[in-house]
Amino acid sequence: MRPLSIWLVTVVVCFATIDLAAQAQAARPAGDASRGKQLFEKTYRCYACHGYDGQTGSPRLVPMQMTEQAFVAFLRKPPREAMPRFADVPEQDLTAVYAYIKSIPVAAPPADSVPILRDVLQRRGQSGQTRTR
Amino acid sequence: MVGRRDFFKGAAASAAGLVVGGSAAPREAEAAVVPPPSVRPPTEADMQAEFGLPRAESRGLALQQEGATAVTESEPASDYMVDVLKKLDFEYAAINPGSAFVGLHESFITYTGNKNPELLTCLHEEAAIALSHGYAKAAGKPMLAMVHGVVGLLHGSMALFQAWADRVPLFLIVGMHRNPTGIVNLPHSAQDLGTIVRDFVKFDDETTTLERFAESAMRAYEIAMTPPRGPVMLVVPTELQEERISRGQRPRVPELARLTPPVGDPNAVREVARLLVNAETPLLMPRKVARTQQGWDAMIELGELLQCPVDPGGYGSWQNFPTWHPLWGNGGSAYRPDVTVAMEMSDMSQLARTARAQGRKTISISAEHVFGHSNIHDYGRYAEVDLMVAGDAEATLPILIEEVKRLITADKRRTLDERGARVAATHREAHAKYVDGLRYGWDANPISVPRMVGELAEQIKNDDWALVSGSQFTIEVQRRLMNFDRHYRYNGDNGGFGVGYDTPASLGAALAHSKRGRLPIAIVGDGDLNFSPGSLWTAAHHRIPLLYVVHNNRAYHAEVMIVQRMSGNRGRGSGHAHVGTTIDNPNINYAQMAKGYGMYSEGPIENPKDLAAAYSRALERVRKGEPALVDVVAQPR
Repeated sequence: MRPLSIWLVTVVVCFATIDLAAQAQAARPAGDASRGKQLFEKTYRCYACHGYDGQTGSPRLVPMQMTEQAFVAFLRKPPREAMPRFADVPEQDLTAVYAYIKSIPVAAPPADSVPILRDVLQRRGQSGQTRTR
Repeated sequence: MVGRRDFFKGAAASAAGLVVGGSAAPREAEAAVVPPPSVRPPTEADMQAEFGLPRAESRGLALQQEGATAVTESEPASDYMVDVLKKLDFEYAAINPGSAFVGLHESFITYTGNKNPELLTCLHEEAAIALSHGYAKAAGKPMLAMVHGVVGLLHGSMALFQAWADRVPLFLIVGMHRNPTGIVNLPHSAQDLGTIVRDFVKFDDETTTLERFAESAMRAYEIAMTPPRGPVMLVVPTELQEERISRGQRPRVPELARLTPPVGDPNAVREVARLLVNAETPLLMPRKVARTQQGWDAMIELGELLQCPVDPGGYGSWQNFPTWHPLWGNGGSAYRPDVTVAMEMSDMSQLARTARAQGRKTISISAEHVFGHSNIHDYGRYAEVDLMVAGDAEATLPILIEEVKRLITADKRRTLDERGARVAATHREAHAKYVDGLRYGWDANPISVPRMVGELAEQIKNDDWALVSGSQFTIEVQRRLMNFDRHYRYNGDNGGFGVGYDTPASLGAALAHSKRGRLPIAIVGDGDLNFSPGSLWTAAHHRIPLLYVVHNNRAYHAEVMIVQRMSGNRGRGSGHAHVGTTIDNPNINYAQMAKGYGMYSEGPIENPKDLAAAYSRALERVRKGEPALVDVVAQPR
């Protein structure tokens, strides 16, 4: 490999590393997750639609895919009418709720490890047309 | 609860006791211990003034005193009324007792021995009528309900409205003093009692003579059962019930005419068939169509002939198609129906408007189009459909099927089969994706709704079960996890979107199903149960087998959300949505409540791992013919 190429690769790797580190920094929520849990359950009652752990309701919040910034913007002005607006809520409350949601581990056992669901899928697969015609 | 009218009846009995019998000594002893009441008990003279005595039954007593011959040669008019009602084949009569129909009440229990109909004691008139509502859908025929004038009718009016909105036949008798004289009965009568509920009954009449009673009973039944079906009401004066009639002057009991439902115009149906067969992407949308095996079979036959998606919808729908059938669904997001046929859909205005704007066709087949009037906006907005066929969809289906068959050629058959295979593949994938999503929070506490439904589905999968509660917020999970493969698997919902239907209506449906050897189950919300907890006593008292699963989420969660939304829109703080919407602090123990009413119960179940065993124990009771309740502390939805 030529020296110039080596230099270029080194630069790219360095930038990539710096970028990943920055992303990781950005991904780490700034809010207080334990306070966010209180707000989620007791103050803003997010659980009413999304479930107590953010994963049994609709839409499911866990795993949270949004960035904190996008999350806050979404709550300030939701694009869907069904979702309440939180325009007047302090930003630190919203970031705390975000931190809480980010902290919730996905609690979804593999489908084939839940016999009830596995059985439903099998039986539904065997259900056919009655061919009355 | 003892109502005012019951209090006076009790007072009357006590007064009678004072006059007729009992030793004076114990009463004096009681008087020595208990301070004398500030208001003296009613005397016979008071009772005469209150109830307008001498009443017909007093006249009967007078006749008895004159000689037994006079009694045997005459009979209470209410006995004749019962013979008329027997022509209508009522298995049960749901009542909350009231003195205004005591003549009929007494005839039912002594003249016919409390059989056909058997009286069901309900603890609220709304429960009595809602019970009749659930029964009618499951049994395919009305139950008789009887209530007291004004107060009983007002209590029951909500349930009457729900049956109206659900297009379900009910037969209600309201007892009323035509010539009231006392302080109690005056407010329990009206010049025109029907006007209180006329906006949501199909027919009402005050039966001033026995002949009119008989004819109106037959007419009312026919009107109730003719689609679009609905509740009917007869106001039967107390005085008429209690008259004595000579056996020689007994009016004839009329025969009930055989009924046929209105059927769509054959030319219009032919046009519907042509549009469906020639469509590239047709869609069938049945709503309140099939409550019989024939209707259910016909929907399957039509869907399979056309090999197109059949989408029965959610709220406001009876189940009209097997949920695990490959064609059940809307064909997926990429399926753009060019011809949509909706059947008994109350409001297809949005659907029709969108379709028209995009050059697609919509057709409505419904008995609603021959409907007379409604003050309630349950008929929806005007729908700009391309073709409106006025006729009962279930009765029209056989003609439509024959026309479709006639138009399908061998070439067409191949095309349709290819379409059916594509639709089936889409639906299979959608079902698998949905079920896969249900594993999230499977072990959560509070218990997830899929877990609550799934554990139940697992335990009854080999039973001939019938889900008798309405859709609420769990219907989609139910349909995905439970194979609704018979017309009676699902009994539809409340019709008018009013809370308080599920608990009593489930009981009525359970009664109908248990006689047919089916296992009735109901998933009711805690909010709903609190509207009519006395239904649990009715279930226990009459030993009606039914499993109540209480979806105990401790709030009116839809309201939590909409209050939250309102607060957000107004920008006045978003942290108070729980005020007036939650049912906690203290939490209600529904298992304990059930025990209080004499019903077997389990719970509150908070750990999902305890659920299977609790269901198992409760179901064991239900299979033996008892009611049981499992209180499940669950996620909101």
